[in-house]
Amino acid sequence: MPAVTLVEKHESVKLRAKTDLRQATRSGSTAEDNAPRMTFKDYNLTRKVARGDIEAFSQLVREHSGLVYRVAARILGDSDAQDATQEVWIRVWRNVKSFRGESAFSTWLYKITVNTCLSAYRRKQSREARETGEDLAHLPVPPSIEDDPVAATVAGERREELLRALERVRPEHRAALVLRHMEGLSYVEVAQVLEVPEGTAKGWVNRGRAALLVALSAERGSA
Amino acid sequence: MIGGWERWEILEKIGAYAASELSPEEMREVEQLILEDAQALRLAESYLRMLAMLGAIGEERPEVSEAVIDHVIRRAMISAFFRQAEILIAGVGRVYLNAFVYYLGLRATSSAG
Repeated sequence: MPAVTLVEKHESVKLRAKTDLRQATRSGSTAEDNAPRMTFKDYNLTRKVARGDIEAFSQLVREHSGLVYRVAARILGDSDAQDATQEVWIRVWRNVKSFRGESAFSTWLYKITVNTCLSAYRRKQSREARETGEDLAHLPVPPSIEDDPVAATVAGERREELLRALERVRPEHRAALVLRHMEGLSYVEVAQVLEVPEGTAKGWVNRGRAALLVALSAERGSA
Repeated sequence: MIGGWERWEILEKIGAYAASELSPEEMREVEQLILEDAQALRLAESYLRMLAMLGAIGEERPEVSEAVIDHVIRRAMISAFFRQAEILIAGVGRVYLNAFVYYLGLRATSSAG
């Protein structure tokens, strides 16, 4: 291919990258600036819940259940997300006294949700000995355009493929990927939620992205 | 190996490039690779589409079933009830114990006197 064509193609990729990423990934340097802060309302509610106020707990559950269910569904899949959501809220009820409001309530809730999901996943894995991303570390060849998982299928199928492929990524990497690219958290927040250093969080997201691309190729290959 | 990089490293680098997470210097290196290697360019395109899809799914807001919310609140109510009952029983028990100790004259006297 002539160099000029390559450059043009490259420029178009860059242009699309800017557009797509602005619309879709919500990642980048501004994420830190948008880090969530503890709201007065959440602080009040959590203090009331700590004193055993059911009404306040009910309000907290109704306001934040979407976040819990969403993350659980993306880490565990739809079928296990409901059970995990219930478990998360029971944990919140039991442990809210230990929440001192040093981070945003949502950050604390993400942490409990991810921990609950990873525990649930491990329990399930020990029962089923399911396939994880372990094999992906030995990638024979990078996926080529022929294997391109996102080139030829319709949107709904692609979505299902992507979610199935996500299930094949190692759980910690999957959680990091979900928090970064689906929930739009900064690396500082991802690290806080996963309770790892920021460099580790970045590594997990990097590895998760690569593993997901490979898993997508495999999904497409097996379809 | 392409451009002195291992295959997995290339995958991760191009992924970070697609997500605009590289330093300017690393960005230039990857751009150079993309210019020189058609497969690297295709990988970058695949990443961009994948990230766009992840972001689009991230925008979805699935509804939590009312049954789940009700169940959680019911569990908390039961837990709160038992917590209160425990406090009450412990309080009543302590009062009765104190009364019994007083009745039997078993309360230890202060050694300081």
